[in-house]
Amino acid sequence: MERDRQALDALFSVAYEELRRLASAIRSDDASATISPTALVNEAWIKLAGSRGFADLSPLHFKRIAARAMRQVLIEAARKRFARKRGGRDVALVTFDDAVGATVSSASELLALDAALQDLARLSPRQATLVESRFFGGLGIAEVADMLGVSEATAHRDWRAARAWLARELQSGT
Amino acid sequence: MTPDRWEEVQAIFHEAVDLDPEARHRYLDAVCGEDAELRSEVDALLRGDEAGHTVLDRDLGSVATGVLEERDEGALPDVVGPYRILGRLGEGGMGVVLLAEREDVGHRVALKVLRDAWVSPTRRSRFASERRTLAQLHHPAIAQLFDAGALPDGTPWFAMEHVEGLPLTDYCREHRTPLGERLRLFRGVCEAVQHAHRHAVIHRDLKPSNILVTADGAIKLLDFGIAKQLDTPLGEVEQTRTGLRMMTPAYAAPEQVTGDRVGLHTDVYSLGVILYELLAGRLPFDLSTATPSEASAILLAQDPARPSTVARVRRHSDRLPGTAPGRSGWADLDVLCLTAMHKEPARRYASVDALIRDVDHFLRGEPLDARPDSPVYKIGKFVRRNRIAVSLAVGAAASVIGLVGFYTLRLGVARDAAVEAAARTQRVQGFLMNLFQGGDPAMGPAESLHVVTLLDRGVQEADALGAEPVIQGELFETLGRVYQQLGEFTRADSLLQTSLQVRRAALGASHPDVASSLVALGSLRVQQAEFDEAERLIREGVTLARARLPLSDPRVANATSALGKVLEERGEYAQAITVLGEAVRLHEVQDRGESPELATALLELANSHFYAGNLEEADSLSRVVLAMGRRLYGEGHPFIAEELVNLGAVQYEWGRFDEAERYYREALALTRAWYGEDHYRTAANLTMLGRALVARNRDDDAMAVLSEALAVQERSFGPIHPAVASTLNDLGTIALRRDRLDLAADYFGRMRETYRQVYPAGHWLVGIAASNLSNVHGRQGRYTNAERLLREAVDQFARFQSPTHTNTAIGRVKLGRILRMQGRHAEAAEESGAGYEILKSQPNPLTAWLRYAATDLAQAFDQLGHPERAAEFRLAMADSASGQ
Repeated sequence: MERDRQALDALFSVAYEELRRLASAIRSDDASATISPTALVNEAWIKLAGSRGFADLSPLHFKRIAARAMRQVLIEAARKRFARKRGGRDVALVTFDDAVGATVSSASELLALDAALQDLARLSPRQATLVESRFFGGLGIAEVADMLGVSEATAHRDWRAARAWLARELQSGT
Repeated sequence: MTPDRWEEVQAIFHEAVDLDPEARHRYLDAVCGEDAELRSEVDALLRGDEAGHTVLDRDLGSVATGVLEERDEGALPDVVGPYRILGRLGEGGMGVVLLAEREDVGHRVALKVLRDAWVSPTRRSRFASERRTLAQLHHPAIAQLFDAGALPDGTPWFAMEHVEGLPLTDYCREHRTPLGERLRLFRGVCEAVQHAHRHAVIHRDLKPSNILVTADGAIKLLDFGIAKQLDTPLGEVEQTRTGLRMMTPAYAAPEQVTGDRVGLHTDVYSLGVILYELLAGRLPFDLSTATPSEASAILLAQDPARPSTVARVRRHSDRLPGTAPGRSGWADLDVLCLTAMHKEPARRYASVDALIRDVDHFLRGEPLDARPDSPVYKIGKFVRRNRIAVSLAVGAAASVIGLVGFYTLRLGVARDAAVEAAARTQRVQGFLMNLFQGGDPAMGPAESLHVVTLLDRGVQEADALGAEPVIQGELFETLGRVYQQLGEFTRADSLLQTSLQVRRAALGASHPDVASSLVALGSLRVQQAEFDEAERLIREGVTLARARLPLSDPRVANATSALGKVLEERGEYAQAITVLGEAVRLHEVQDRGESPELATALLELANSHFYAGNLEEADSLSRVVLAMGRRLYGEGHPFIAEELVNLGAVQYEWGRFDEAERYYREALALTRAWYGEDHYRTAANLTMLGRALVARNRDDDAMAVLSEALAVQERSFGPIHPAVASTLNDLGTIALRRDRLDLAADYFGRMRETYRQVYPAGHWLVGIAASNLSNVHGRQGRYTNAERLLREAVDQFARFQSPTHTNTAIGRVKLGRILRMQGRHAEAAEESGAGYEILKSQPNPLTAWLRYAATDLAQAFDQLGHPERAAEFRLAMADSASGQ
């Protein structure tokens, strides 16, 4: 158990640093800003595969967990950011102030997506997993299909319906 | 909505979604019929499909940017601790680096603040570890830690030296630095890394952007953010891959890519890449367009072009400024660089010291120690080198070091060797000796044979150096001490004797070098347990050194330490304490502060106090040594573990078993991390922990710990070894206490057999084993067996210790009990009485055994019809009980 906890902790660290790298590459208009979530998760896999706690996992299973880690890191960050916007006092140096706008909207959108995904999971856990893996983990349709044990056609259909449902939820929710 | 309903909605959605509007309308009317709610669900879904454009359609990267990136510095606090923030210097994976100024004194610092600690505890501990690492390092070429603290919300920060300068490669390009100067800068980098290595810190992320050159040309090494304390028992996950996490792949060593063990050799590799870049003008591998997996493949499989080849095809403006090295110069630079960055850690320079030496060789126009891919070649090297007498001794030692490094790496004790090596490089000899420290008995016969074979060749080469007696004498001494470390005492003996003779013949009987040979030979005698001879030799060495050298000479201090050690081994604790105290003072003067030698002398002094029973002094000195060791070696060096064990032993003697346990456990964690699970030192540590647990009546825990120790010892020493026997004794004692008599008989039986094979001619330890086994037989009522064993024990004690030794007395007392159990009261009274008398005559009689004997004597005399004598002993029993 301790080992699993450590492994996950390491994964969260990696996920965080990868996301930050991605974000800062984008911000600085770096040429490598084309890094996709796929590359991100692959990178995390390269860095963690073979570590205790991950050694027994298949790459696919790892990506599934990594996607979850990415989601949690981002949601957590969004919560902090959002809370700050709600008038939480800036206590730490690290709470830099943001210009109102994109940031808050990203944060609130992410939080809304998270809530909607939780609702979707109640309707269809498979579809929620699929969205999480695709969006946060950058998994391709073929990989997702393989992971969920369905045909690619089914995975496609699931994705499309889930995406439509989420769009409806997100638009009506805000 | 329910899951079923959702299925239904989706089914309709999929049918409808690709129809044209009219067909879709018709279809939906037909399917949904009167169910308006179903219809509206499906409609909403179809609208969602068309509209899209939610966060899901955005790039994750841009979303991440929105939530993770801060906008500007507008919201920076103005003040952190005593510092006023002036601006931002940059950011890394861990945190933001700010430029700040100390308000009272006005000096500027770089202030690093951990960002987003909430992500995982790992971040917080890694940040703390960087701070600790910096606190430990004090070197002009390493950015210095000044201060640390936490913000009101607990966010940690630390302040360090603010360095203004250019990354090493940029500096060289902009200043058109010529080759010689580049190598001197590179050497400065190596020295900084070497300093870190001496503190058991691996940087793991060496690259030009972490190495700044200031305007006046000074080197500053920065960013120990992913540095690793060699000994820190990191989480297992951390241990494998963290290194790569933020490592720049271009400078990453193959083992960082594969997740194999990183070590000092990892930094050697990165230094090699940096040197490559300085020489060739570009990186060895072009990874700019490679995906991570391609990059790893390249790093693992591809051989870099020789720097000379790359440099020659550079455009003129990119070429190395200044005089170009000639063909042979380039050949040496190629070898130097490619040896440092060899894909196999074992084939690299065994340490940064070795790398520095070769840089120096190059700068002085001397041949390198390294040869392309041929470590074995090196040994043959020093004969060819004997024209260059100046560097010969150093070179020869370095050759052996190269070899030894090579083989010890192969043995899997690279860390012992490399770090031990790094700890004391001032003296070539010390360096070489230390390569072997801790590795010796752990080596299997086959492996030590390798080393010995090579050393044998080294000896042959040394033999051929008759024309250079000064160097030959030194070499013989060095090789002799290496053999001593390897446990090859006969070989060591003849080499050290030869060293002494050669030096006496060449330099005269009273030359200080002769003193050095005398002390070395004497120290060997200590290990051979020939204490008279040892003391004589070392005293002669001390006298000579004191007569011929100033007191401030390190050889005087070393000789004095050696004398203290021999006195300690002889059990002359009072004298040892005096002499070691003197050695401590000499080292203090000579080393101007703390040094490994001083720490060792203090450690021996603490030991002497311990054995002399001065537990207070032993305790306080051990604490001093521990603190000094931490400053000298860092937190987790084996020296620290040794000192923790010593402290534990003091607590144990005081009966503070819980504290003893704590120290032993702390030591065990370090020992394990350093030497690994299967090392005899780990076993020794487990054994001590087991004893502390026994003392705390935690028998089951103790048995588990001791069984583990036994298994390790059997693997590392083989089944026939005194250490194995000693652990068997502990296990037997617990088993007996738990009334597991068969098990106890098995343990003690194996113990006795082991000692008998270790000491075929007899030994008091054989007696201890027999005596302990007799306890089991006594409990089982097998008195004949017990009697036989006890007679054997008494015989061994009397012969190998003395007829009046405590052990002899205890043996006889126990024998008396067994005889009485058999109704042989007269014989019982005789044995018990004799034992009783011996015990009684000792300065601090063992009251428990006195009572034991008195009980038997009282009963025996009752049986023998001497009630008055029986009453006498009953009175004695009461006395000793009340006297307690």
